[in-house]
Amino acid sequence: MPQWGMAVDLDRCTGCGGCVVACHAENNISTVGDEQAAVGRAKHWLRIERYWEGDFPDVRLKFRPVMCQQCDNAPCEPVCPTYASHHTDDGLNAQVYNRCIGTRYCANACPYNARFFDFFNPSWDKPLQLQLNPDVSLREVGVMEKCTFCVQRIRAAGTQAKAEERDVADGEIQPACVQSCGARALVFGDLENPSSEVSRLSRSPRGSKLLEDTGAQPSVTYLSRLTQV
Amino acid sequence: MDRRSFIKLTAVTGTGAALASCGNPENDFIRFIPDEMIVPGVAVWKPGVCSLCPAGCGLTVRVMDADADVVRDGQAGIVRIAAAKKLEGAPDHPVNHGGLCARGQAAIQVTYHPDRITQPLRRTGERGDGLYEAVSWDDALAEIVSRLDALEGAGNQGSLTYLTRVGRSHRAALVRDFLVRFGAPPPVAFEIFGDDVLRRANALSFGREQLPTFDLANAMYVLSFGADFLGTWNSPVAQNVAYGRMRQGRRGVRGAFAQVESRMSQTGASADEWVPVRPGTDGVLALGIAHLLMSTGAYPSDAAGRAGALIEGWAAGLPGYAPEDVERMTGLEAARVEGLARQFSDARPAVAIVGGAPLAHSNGLFTALAVNALNALVGAPGRDGGIFFTPQLDVAAAVQSGSPAQPAVALESLVTEGLAGGASPEVVFVDGANPVFTAPPAWRVREWLEQVPYIVSFGHFLDETSILADLILPDHSSLESWAEALPESGAVMAVASIAPPVMRPLHQTRATPDVLLEVGRMLGTPLALPWETFDELLGASLAGLPSASGSGALADARQAGVWSGELPAGLAVADSADTSPASVPVAFTAPEFDGDADEYPFHFLPYSSNAFLDGSLAHLPWLQEMPDPLTSAMWSSWVEINPVTAERLGISAGDVVEVTSAHGTVRTRVVVSPGIAPDLVAMPAGQGHRTFTRYASGRGENPVELLAPMTDAATGALAWAATRVRVTRVGPPDGRLILFAGSLREHGEEHR
Amino acid sequence: MTHPTGQQITRDLVRPLLLTTWRFYVMIALFGAFVVAGLVAWLSQVYFGFGLSGINWPVFWGFYITNFVFWIGISHAGTLISAILRLVNAGWRRPVTRCAEAITTFALLIGAMFPLIHIGRPWLAFWLIPYPSERLIWPNFRSPLVWDFFAINTYLTGSLLFLLLPMIPDFAVVRDSTTGIRQKIYRVLALGWRGTPKQWHRLESAMQIMAIAIIPVAVSVHTIVSFDFSMAPVPMWQTTIFGPYFVAGAIFSGIAGLIIAMAVLRRLLHLEDYLRPLHFENLGKLMLVMALLWGYFVFNERLVTYYGNGPHEMAVFWRTQRLSFAPLYWTMVVCNFVLPLILLGIRRFRTITGCVIASFGVVIGMWLERYLIIVPSLGAKYLPYSHGTYTPELVEVTITVATFAAMCLLYMLFAKVVPIISIWELKAGEHPSPALIPPATEKHQLGDLHL
Ligand SMILES: Nc1nc2c(c(=O)[nH]1)N[C@H]1C(S)=C(S)[C@@H](COP(=O)(O)OP(=O)(O)OC[C@H]3O[C@@H](n4cnc5c(=O)[nH]c(N)nc54)[C@H](O)[C@@H]3O)O[C@H]1N2
Ligand SMILES: Nc1nc2c(c(=O)[nH]1)N[C@H]1C(S)=C(S)[C@@H](COP(=O)(O)OP(=O)(O)OC[C@H]3O[C@@H](n4cnc5c(=O)[nH]c(N)nc54)[C@H](O)[C@@H]3O)O[C@H]1N2
Ligand code: SF4
Ligand code: SF4
Ligand code: SF4
Ligand code: SF4
Ligand code: SF4
Repeated sequence: MPQWGMAVDLDRCTGCGGCVVACHAENNISTVGDEQAAVGRAKHWLRIERYWEGDFPDVRLKFRPVMCQQCDNAPCEPVCPTYASHHTDDGLNAQVYNRCIGTRYCANACPYNARFFDFFNPSWDKPLQLQLNPDVSLREVGVMEKCTFCVQRIRAAGTQAKAEERDVADGEIQPACVQSCGARALVFGDLENPSSEVSRLSRSPRGSKLLEDTGAQPSVTYLSRLTQV
Repeated sequence: MDRRSFIKLTAVTGTGAALASCGNPENDFIRFIPDEMIVPGVAVWKPGVCSLCPAGCGLTVRVMDADADVVRDGQAGIVRIAAAKKLEGAPDHPVNHGGLCARGQAAIQVTYHPDRITQPLRRTGERGDGLYEAVSWDDALAEIVSRLDALEGAGNQGSLTYLTRVGRSHRAALVRDFLVRFGAPPPVAFEIFGDDVLRRANALSFGREQLPTFDLANAMYVLSFGADFLGTWNSPVAQNVAYGRMRQGRRGVRGAFAQVESRMSQTGASADEWVPVRPGTDGVLALGIAHLLMSTGAYPSDAAGRAGALIEGWAAGLPGYAPEDVERMTGLEAARVEGLARQFSDARPAVAIVGGAPLAHSNGLFTALAVNALNALVGAPGRDGGIFFTPQLDVAAAVQSGSPAQPAVALESLVTEGLAGGASPEVVFVDGANPVFTAPPAWRVREWLEQVPYIVSFGHFLDETSILADLILPDHSSLESWAEALPESGAVMAVASIAPPVMRPLHQTRATPDVLLEVGRMLGTPLALPWETFDELLGASLAGLPSASGSGALADARQAGVWSGELPAGLAVADSADTSPASVPVAFTAPEFDGDADEYPFHFLPYSSNAFLDGSLAHLPWLQEMPDPLTSAMWSSWVEINPVTAERLGISAGDVVEVTSAHGTVRTRVVVSPGIAPDLVAMPAGQGHRTFTRYASGRGENPVELLAPMTDAATGALAWAATRVRVTRVGPPDGRLILFAGSLREHGEEHR
Repeated sequence: MTHPTGQQITRDLVRPLLLTTWRFYVMIALFGAFVVAGLVAWLSQVYFGFGLSGINWPVFWGFYITNFVFWIGISHAGTLISAILRLVNAGWRRPVTRCAEAITTFALLIGAMFPLIHIGRPWLAFWLIPYPSERLIWPNFRSPLVWDFFAINTYLTGSLLFLLLPMIPDFAVVRDSTTGIRQKIYRVLALGWRGTPKQWHRLESAMQIMAIAIIPVAVSVHTIVSFDFSMAPVPMWQTTIFGPYFVAGAIFSGIAGLIIAMAVLRRLLHLEDYLRPLHFENLGKLMLVMALLWGYFVFNERLVTYYGNGPHEMAVFWRTQRLSFAPLYWTMVVCNFVLPLILLGIRRFRTITGCVIASFGVVIGMWLERYLIIVPSLGAKYLPYSHGTYTPELVEVTITVATFAAMCLLYMLFAKVVPIISIWELKAGEHPSPALIPPATEKHQLGDLHL
């Protein structure tokens, strides 16, 4: 059974935001509009965190893409009363929108604040709904949503590979964010396969996990940005 | 009635008609026969070309069946259509290599935008009211033809003016051909953040009037002067791809990168070293580095050849640019100048980039030439890890009928002349340009357009310029028509991005190139353009190019969305004819600024927004809601101020302030940012539209409204970074600055 | 001050059931209006979307969960107090027990509503219930929210029994003091109580068992409520102290609620002779102990966090101690600690008025305590980029106010139909002679009764 994971190379990421919009486009994430965004209801399954360090003129800005870390020991899972947030065999933290009753407990438990809530029924001004991806279910008011590692693409590739009686090849599955990233800062693949690129990168001495001390055991490895002057 | 109520009214009329029809069997909603044989639920991928900026990235478009509400021949109905679902970067495209920027991802929302103009419209109200009535294409075309015939009758063909955007393409070639054959002057292309200064400098330094391509992937040291090459400038996706490789794409090797600029851009944020210098002095730093390089003896001055000869004092080793001189002029310590020079010479190959604000000063051309000379000194042109010029297909030569490029007419001089009572156009065509929004108000473009008797717009949306039009002939979106671009930069080989329509048009729109061809045929004296439709022109253009598959270059492009390869002799744009060195070598002249330094203490820097560029993309909701790379702002505009300055002025984050220049005032909100010099304030462009769909209208402020009509002395290009402003606090936060981030410091004061 | 006895007790305590003034209707209308407003607010939240609230990313819990914990806390008034006092056979408890048990039941009902108000899709709340479905889908028994479901239901059942059982003899008293339709209703409610020795014996045993059983249930309920927080890896939530800290806080606020209720009843129903300064003083002493205990827990929690100096904990710590939440935090400390210490610690101030003022302080302070546990932590959870703030919206304020109105409303209606002071217990306490309990009627001869 593959264990899906991601590596984020902070030395490559330029903070361009291409992945952010790619995720919206792939996963039918609705925009909430200015008034809702102003009160903290914008939904960005993937966000580029940015942090200033130092003061002018010795100032630096660091970018860090943060999405659901698909934790192996996901704190969002045990607290969910309905199993809407649960673990799959291939290491994903799955979110079953239809089973979610909207307690938002999982969102509190998630150390990364990677979960987003539908405060209103998502809507698209016609005919923007034509862009919707039929492979991704629409959410309704009152449910939690979050990065799924583009599970629809994982499943499609798995089905295809099964039909062709082979294993999924390394690099065959590209989540939307990974696909759009020109700088190739994001690498997705099977951590179980020691020769996959993501395994190789995850073993890099530059690698670390985000908030490791919370014990969530995330599947995303961050490769540190180097400095060289 | 304003534009909004117009849209509402049409919607209500439409619904009303639909409801009224329910009782009549003959008017029942009809179920159209599917447009296209598509298997429900099965996706197909078709090639496409991103048209949102001149980079010309290749797309792979996911197409599936969908049910669309449409109005056809006056009847509302639901059509099962093949609909574009997702835009992805074409994996094998020589420019973007599978990547796609945020804007490219959002391009699909142009096609499905709820406020698209869906049919030809004729103005019924006063100019700018936004009151239009629907007209048929036949009537609309007849109207244009009669106007153009009238011009011809009066022998006044020269008074047709075509306003368009910058960018090389077959479409631009067709427009040029149309105008030349009609007897009109060449199109007027205006872009606020245009690169004319750099093109001019490259023509002088390297004999190529073109933007360069950088081989970052093989560079060991990149020194960028103000170019936001990872965000918005030139060919950003290509440059991101190369940047990733430069940093971590080579085993054991990591290229270093320094960015010179006084407001940290998204690109500057990725730099190892960030080097703020005084506005307008970047060229001095470049020459200071050149001076040190030459003084080591490792780089003889004549290595720079022609590019060096353009700089005064070059042959003598630039004696006036010793580190202390550079410190005095740029404000950068001499030691850092020496450090930069050391890195630039030690890390080979090294390359310098210049673009954006450094060239938008009164001495812009000098700055560009200085950086070019530095590149030439280290042998960057044509060398791995250096600077290249993408070979360009000469469309005029390829189609054997087209008209050669002529020097463009500058918008500013045209407007000034027109307003001063000189020649003013009788008919203006507006195609993809919005100068009312992007040109400084001091140019008075709107006033000039208002006195034009007849304006035709090909826009999809009612923007500030289109709303002045008497007739609107909406274009297809780029997914609904042949899409193409001839990327000026981003690849080492010649590229033609070309793709057929991926879906049927949603609305009653028509492809503008086809409209021009048809108008050309309908004129009293037909223009005898040799193509029936635009794709014929494309076919003619590509006919002479080598085909990898043997079935023709156009067939290859239809398959892959791109043709790329060696250009046959005669089909490539020749090196610039202007090979003579400038008669007088240039020297640094202090930049000039509009506005008295006492009254207007701050330099003002408008910059191209990562989401909206100059504002042409502010109508796309995904981009409105995307957090800005530096501030995390959404749906907003703001002014960036250094914390020390803010404290001195008694301003805190989010406060409402007035930014005033000698030419205007905008009221906006403050972002206190450590990444900006204390004597500079910066504002992103893109917001502040008066009319541009429900998502952008009335939102934020347009920094262009403050700009003085300063120009680069040598080229006449707008010097958009040469205005001074003052900032006054007006009040506390009013909630209109919307930030996604809670805190932009990872280790806050709270922990101390 | 007189010590009423016998018939006087019955008359005084049954009077509120029989005499209804216009003031009663006005107040019912007033509280009812608030309750209706709350209902409208909730329905509109369901109809228009949960976004009407002020909840946001990342402060996903706000007023509703604050209210949930608060009311479940208030519910510890009764059962625990009266159960403990019953077990230690504190004689002064007698006029107080029913007041307290009624608070428990109503506060629980109100508290249990909040999860419904709080969740995004309340129409699917039944998925929290382990009902057999053909698809064999069960709730997740690892989730503290499911534990809440069981704990609260158990506590509610227990509390209801604890409230209802000792009401039976009093229903009989009312039955015997009334006529007509009223009498018929109370006859049904009295469940054929005749006061036979066997009945008394059974009642006493049942009460004894319930009193013992309800204490661990009550302790577990608020421990489990505290697990809702301490089981999530949120800065300043994940701490072992939360269980006892929450239970102590619950009892603390429960006593305060009880004192306020008693003072109001005393004034409105003219029960000055029954709810005497002694009761307030004793409860005040109990509350003083709880205030000290509360202070001890808070001191512990803060000190350990401060010494631990974990960066994420400290972010929350300073938020409450010094930064945006400091005004609320120090108000809480004054209300929960300083005020009770002064008013209840100094004998001169430990009057009815003093106790009531202190109680109001504690109710406010304990509400703030829950708010300050929830909001500052969620707003400053780990990655600073995702930090945020929370401002309640109209629906939340309306619903919060409505629940206080609902409490008053339920209490008033309850006092209208049930003697708010247990008649038989009072009599048993005042006059241990079996001859007077309960009053003889033509139907029930005195001879049947003995304790
Ligand atoms: N939510 C939900 N989804 C389900 C199911 C469910 O219970 N709930 N059930 C599943 C099952 S078991 C099934 S069989 C499928 C059924 O799924 P579909 O086969 O999609 O069934 P319908 O929607 O009933 O009918 C399809 C279309 O046929 C049209 N139609 C009716 N008569 C004719 C005719 O004579 N000629 C033509 N050309 N068209 C006609 C109808 O107007 C309708 O638009 O749905 C499956 N999906
Ligand atoms: N009015 C109307 N009638 C229709 C149709 C219609 O469109 N309209 N459609 C027709 C068609 S196409 C169909 S297929 C039929 C469908 O008719 P049914 O076969 O009756 O389908 P369902 O209504 O889905 O009911 C199936 C039952 O099986 C249970 N069930 C689900 N999973 C399992 C399981 O794993 N094991 C067991 N033992 N039980 C399970 C469900 O809970 C449910 O009670 O209806 C037909 N009748
Ligand atoms: S697309 Fe790549 S480079 Fe751009 S922000 Fe995302 S991860 Fe970073
Ligand atoms: S919000 Fe949904 S997914 Fe999250 S814990 Fe509640 S029911 Fe589970
Ligand atoms: S990142 Fe958050 S939502 Fe994702 S698995 Fe981990 S705890 Fe759950
Ligand atoms: S993996 Fe898919 S769902 Fe997750 S952030 Fe990337 S695009 Fe979004
Ligand atoms: S760089 Fe320009 S052409 Fe390329 S994807 Fe972005 S907007 Fe489109």
